[in-house]
Amino acid sequence: MANLDDYDLSPDSAPPSGADATDEMDTLRRSPGLVRIPLALVLAAALFGAWFSATSTADFVQHLDREVHKIHCSFNPGAAVEATLESPCRTAMLSPYSSWLRQDYWGGIPVSLFAIAVFAFLAYRAGHLLVRGRALRSEAVFLFAATLLPVGMSALYYWLAVTKVGAICKVCQGMYGSSAAAAVFALGAVFLSQGSDGKGIGRFLLGIVEGTAFVGVLTLVYLAAMPEADPKAGGANGCGTLANPADEAGIMIPIAPQPGGVPTIEVLDPLCPSCKAFDTRLSSSELHTRLDMKAVLFPLDSTCNWMVSTSMHPGACAVAEAMLCAGGNVTGKGSPAEAVRVLDWAFAHQDELLTQAKTDEPGVRKRLEAEFPAVKGCLGGAQVKNKIVKSLRWAVSNALSVLTPQVFVNGTRMCDEDTDLGLEYTLSRMLAGAAGGKK
Amino acid sequence: MKINDLALKLGVAAVALVVPSAKVSGWLGDAEARYKENRAAMAANPSDVPVAAMAEDQYCTPQLKAIVRRVAGACGLLGGGGEGGRGCQPMQAASVASLSGEDFNALFLPLSQRAHIIQFDPLVTELDPAAQTQLEKAWADQRGASFFFVVARASSDGDTKKNEELSAKRAESVLKHLENKFHDPDLKKEVGLLWLGESFAQLGTEFCGWQRSRSGSAEPCTDKEINRTAFVAWIDCAI
Repeated sequence: MANLDDYDLSPDSAPPSGADATDEMDTLRRSPGLVRIPLALVLAAALFGAWFSATSTADFVQHLDREVHKIHCSFNPGAAVEATLESPCRTAMLSPYSSWLRQDYWGGIPVSLFAIAVFAFLAYRAGHLLVRGRALRSEAVFLFAATLLPVGMSALYYWLAVTKVGAICKVCQGMYGSSAAAAVFALGAVFLSQGSDGKGIGRFLLGIVEGTAFVGVLTLVYLAAMPEADPKAGGANGCGTLANPADEAGIMIPIAPQPGGVPTIEVLDPLCPSCKAFDTRLSSSELHTRLDMKAVLFPLDSTCNWMVSTSMHPGACAVAEAMLCAGGNVTGKGSPAEAVRVLDWAFAHQDELLTQAKTDEPGVRKRLEAEFPAVKGCLGGAQVKNKIVKSLRWAVSNALSVLTPQVFVNGTRMCDEDTDLGLEYTLSRMLAGAAGGKK
Repeated sequence: MKINDLALKLGVAAVALVVPSAKVSGWLGDAEARYKENRAAMAANPSDVPVAAMAEDQYCTPQLKAIVRRVAGACGLLGGGGEGGRGCQPMQAASVASLSGEDFNALFLPLSQRAHIIQFDPLVTELDPAAQTQLEKAWADQRGASFFFVVARASSDGDTKKNEELSAKRAESVLKHLENKFHDPDLKKEVGLLWLGESFAQLGTEFCGWQRSRSGSAEPCTDKEINRTAFVAWIDCAI
């Protein structure tokens, strides 16, 4: 155990002999043991932050087995996983902001891993000073400066969550709160610290090296231990190909036309939450600009789809009809942009449309007509119903699985397990393959 | 900084670094183990997600399918049908079906909710507006069906030969309206026409309760009205 004799705290550490140290508060403030209080609080905040970021990282990492798992989403660090699959934490986790280098590694490196490293570093610095029992001013200042990194990242990620992701996860908020608390307590430690050894700048630089080493070591551990993809299965090889990709019945809707882009077909259901989530993920990926995307509608609603015995997504047939009507696929009047408007509206109102359609499907049709007057006279008509059948039969002719979404890049189906965390990794390789094929 | 403090610092740093590294490494190891297990399981048991397929309703008994296939094949309906090769005349239908008229009609009884009866005025072969609407409704309700059967008849009034011509023209009217209305490239491969005149499988009045184009009208439904018709239905069988 260290003792005070180990430290050279002169010249500015000792109370000036001639000073009028009559102020009781000043005496208290300068009492070396008091700094332990904010240091203990910084340590606690860092451990809480590390716990939250570890929870987030563990949730992220378990998905590297390419399966879907329930995850944590609570302010309580010890809370159990959520009962349902959908949660703001999942939305945040699947967003492209949750990890870095996604095109290089399947899933990328989770930002929460860096958070673990930073909080562990803060815990180490605070813990060391706490055990030692004293903190030089320069050490406390460095500790405070170090806490500003997670504070800054928290501010950035909060902004991303609000403006880009549209969901704020509670585990992330735990990290934000821990960061802020650590900074506040570290500031307290600055005020209660005393003494200098004249090596502040050197210590500051060494601290940066140490902090970088923490991040570096954890990143290397992560990269060394992350599961290696089976080169023979899935990935860029895909999971099957289209036997009859031609659109003879005129049922495809260009939802994101991109001249020169790689021909891509998305089989989707406008009221399928997974399709909505996929759309969000793809839209926020820079790779979507390289895809020339068309949609084939495959509503999982038994009112028009004989392949499902119950309506998994009630109202989906009505919305799909509206898309075909608006897109000009039925009468020639309309445009793909109008169909995309219907799709965006359906995604935005998905929950309420699904709920309403369970008891009032005609009501959903009325809402569609009110929102998109151009579909009146077409919606519910024989011709658009015929188009829906053709759309479904396109799936039959290609022997597709009865599920949505399915994405075919240049005729090759992206495996289901690659459509979330592995999207960028897989898509970038499929696009590279498509470009190679063109040559 | 003295040795004691350096040792303390290194000790705390080691704990702070080793614990999260070990945890992260452990999580990744678990994920990799599950990934490999999943891959092996997938290789052993391919996906159980159903594959998109045409409908195969409960009424699609082997006997029904055999008869539909025989009738459709013999009447030039399978394979898209060529010019002039589409449709079965009464005696052809009777012979290839190898059924009595009553048994032939019984084949369609399970289609009571699926079939539509398009009605015509006496000696008329054109579709009236109500008939057009009923026909379009029937066609649009294809679902997963593979074949659209049009079985046209005529009442027993008048000359047998004339009635055969009437039923043939009624069947053709149905086909033409579908072509004009839907411009469906699959239509040629899906529609089968049978014209039975008055000679084979006349409908009984029990069919008056089915979906008719004149269901709500004041017109009576006797043996004559129910046979001045084209009986149309999608067959939900994978033929």
